[in-house]
Amino acid sequence: MRQRHIFGQVFTLESIIAGVVFVVVLAVFGYALLRRRAGRPVDPSQRSERPRLESYYVGVLGAFAVFLVAWTAWQNHREHQSADRPPVRVDVTGFQWCWTFAYPQATERRSVSGTCRGDDLPTLVVPTGRPVQLKLTSKDVIHSLWVPDLRYKMDAFPHHTNTLTLTLDREGRWMGKCAEFCGHLHYSMHFWIKAVSPEEYDNWLHSGAGQAVAS
Amino acid sequence: MTSAPPSTEETAAGKPVAPGGWLGWVTSTDHKRIGLLTIGTSLVLFVLVGILALIMRAQLAQPEQDLVGVDTYNQLFTIHGSGMIYMVLTPFAIGMGVYLVPLQIGAPGIAMPRLTLLGYWLYVFGAIVMLAGFATPNGAHADGWFSYPPMADSVHSPSVGSDLWIVGVFLATTGSIVMGWAVLWTVLRKRTQGMTMLRLPVFSWSMVVTCLMVIGAFPALLAALVVLAVGRADPSLFVSNVWNIGYQHLFWFYGHPVVYVMFFPYLAAVAEVLAVFSGRRFFGYRGTVLSLLVFAALSMSVWGHHMFATGQAANDYYSLTSIVLLVPAGVEYFGMLGTILGGRLRFRPPMLFALAFIPQFLIGGLTGIMVGTPVIDYHVTDSYFIVAHLHYVLFAGSAFGLFAAIYFWFPKVSGVMLSERGGRLHFWLLVLGTNLTFLPMFALGYEGMPRRVWTYAAFDGFGLFNLLSSIGAAFLAAATVVFIVNVLWTLRQREHGRAEPAPDDPWGAHTLEWATTSPPPRHNFTPEHPIPPITSFAPLLDLRRRRQKEAADSGSRS
Amino acid sequence: MKRHPAFAVVAGWGGLNAILLAVLVLYGENSMTYWLWGASVAMVELAALLVLVSSRTGPEQHVRYRVPDRGAGAALPAALACVLTGLAFVYGLWLLALAVPLLALAVALAVRGTTAREE
Repeated sequence: MRQRHIFGQVFTLESIIAGVVFVVVLAVFGYALLRRRAGRPVDPSQRSERPRLESYYVGVLGAFAVFLVAWTAWQNHREHQSADRPPVRVDVTGFQWCWTFAYPQATERRSVSGTCRGDDLPTLVVPTGRPVQLKLTSKDVIHSLWVPDLRYKMDAFPHHTNTLTLTLDREGRWMGKCAEFCGHLHYSMHFWIKAVSPEEYDNWLHSGAGQAVAS
Repeated sequence: MTSAPPSTEETAAGKPVAPGGWLGWVTSTDHKRIGLLTIGTSLVLFVLVGILALIMRAQLAQPEQDLVGVDTYNQLFTIHGSGMIYMVLTPFAIGMGVYLVPLQIGAPGIAMPRLTLLGYWLYVFGAIVMLAGFATPNGAHADGWFSYPPMADSVHSPSVGSDLWIVGVFLATTGSIVMGWAVLWTVLRKRTQGMTMLRLPVFSWSMVVTCLMVIGAFPALLAALVVLAVGRADPSLFVSNVWNIGYQHLFWFYGHPVVYVMFFPYLAAVAEVLAVFSGRRFFGYRGTVLSLLVFAALSMSVWGHHMFATGQAANDYYSLTSIVLLVPAGVEYFGMLGTILGGRLRFRPPMLFALAFIPQFLIGGLTGIMVGTPVIDYHVTDSYFIVAHLHYVLFAGSAFGLFAAIYFWFPKVSGVMLSERGGRLHFWLLVLGTNLTFLPMFALGYEGMPRRVWTYAAFDGFGLFNLLSSIGAAFLAAATVVFIVNVLWTLRQREHGRAEPAPDDPWGAHTLEWATTSPPPRHNFTPEHPIPPITSFAPLLDLRRRRQKEAADSGSRS
Repeated sequence: MKRHPAFAVVAGWGGLNAILLAVLVLYGENSMTYWLWGASVAMVELAALLVLVSSRTGPEQHVRYRVPDRGAGAALPAALACVLTGLAFVYGLWLLALAVPLLALAVALAVRGTTAREE
């Protein structure tokens, strides 16, 4: 869940900063509305430049920018560290309007697909605790693989393969969606991603097609 | 020191044409008419494509509804976005420039008026061609306002509505480029005596940077549309990924600057209004001018932040330049807050909209910095979080600036005053509607609702926030009706001679357009209404202060 | 520079763009973007050059203006010709048979001057 974890850190910090900025601006704004309105005994200011204050202010803004750029670049890098062990591999293909998951490491060629209509959503099965490398492509138009609970998405382009590595650290089932408009049934192009124990995964992978994973 | 009013040498030719007749409007070289045509057309389109959004919000109010079909829905969001961006906010902004810039710089007209008029006609016909897709058997284009291939190619979007979309957007964008060039040339080369660059009003500076972005970035859209058209003729083009990702680079190279084209003029209108209704000149002028230029240059460099999830863009670079945007943005806020902090605030309708801009745009801007971070964007891009962000900057921000501009300049343009009560009612309905409609969308996107979905499942748990959002949209509709009634009623009263006439300067304003009649005469300034001396970017304010001082001095002497 | 501030603004803005482009090259991106942005910078600098030429041959600020007062009758047929040309790509080249005469009419109106002028 590295992406979710890192997202949580970055989103929380940036939300706090944004919240503080908003409150400060609102306070200044509110002060002006209440204390500077025409009914009160105020005279409009004649002073329309405060260069020193502005320079300090720009300096502070610049420092913020430098910090944010450096820190978020580092976090982005952390999110994309390559696997420390040989990853489990899944080939994901998006198409109008569902997904196919192929497992090239299975003893027999293994591929799971569906129609994405009603309950027929395909499930991407992965083991817990091991890096899973998804090779992502499309058969027709641009789609995008999004698992909201993992806080991550990546586009699926035709005639091109994107690679993303996930590590799910606990068992469970999460829904995935298509996040790039792809036509008629874009809104229902969902799938499941399911993490099972490594033993269960190995059993499932090498047991041949047609064996459902215990849910 | 006074400057002579501009004298005009007229080259007469042929029979006179009644200025009020339709031919007078259709062939006008009066920049005020061309500006009004542009603004008027864009407001009509605003209502039309706004109605499309109301239909969308009705469809999304509850899960698993079927009020309109999915293919219709896909056309609705495409034409709503395309209309608002290509045919409403961009032309309105440029139209404001066409109308106001010559007045603000003391010129009797715009440079290249015939070219400007050509630009208007290209825009109108472009809009008609794009909308004509609805009249074709398979409907209008339905791949979103950015229209990525291969989805937008002739295999996956075969209907002729998509071809009409390409032609319409191409024409309208060409019109915008042409008008933008004319405005830029005017402000750079047609300023009156004493109007140095650093005495240009904030609004005119905003038009400088806006038009620089128009000429620097809009041609990329024309190139992207040509690529799309070629690919529709020859589908093998989009079989190579190079053209699919290449289209996105071409498109977003235009697609980011355009959102600043749809921001700076409205920001500047807010700045003008804040200053006037604070009774003092705009605070931090020099920093604002510099930051506008830097902001606009940076805006040309951030386009790849729309492509973070493609896996094929230099994310670190675009994140760097996107985050750095907070510096010029912060300077703009310094100016706006400094203006009102030192002012004596009068809460007339233009000021209400200008004030609301400050916190509302901030929400859009702060979330913009957040999504300029790839880690955050990987989750929220292509979700309703982005829909919320873009509507906060463009609607809660720019559209409020648009209404501030309308209420502010309407007396100058029409010669009559709008109803104040109607303005206040419009304002409060709009504030409520805007925030109720778009704030819940942040949560919806965060929780996993993708963009451009016809419906969503009941078990998704998106129902309540979508319902709130749709209720908000009803308030937006009500607000807009109030506005339309106010404008149309006032204009009708004017026809019957019963509207409240507007003096030259009903607000106590600062810039040159307020030194002439309402509406201004054909060549803007006359010997009876000469241009006052240009002593700063607020010449009328300076004039009033000088007169007050002279009156006080002569009073104390007697 | 100080004598031609308008030129300085446009040329300087183009220069800012060039610097940002240079930084992009350092980071590395699809080379198509270098051509795209480079072309944009070139266009902006060309505009700056036009401003400079105009600034050197005419005043920076004006006391007297010459206002063209002829009607712009050519604009509408020219625009229509563009529309029909665009539609010819969609509905067939036969539309050019309408577009070309309209364009000719527009050119004639522009060159000769329209017979109408505003009062």
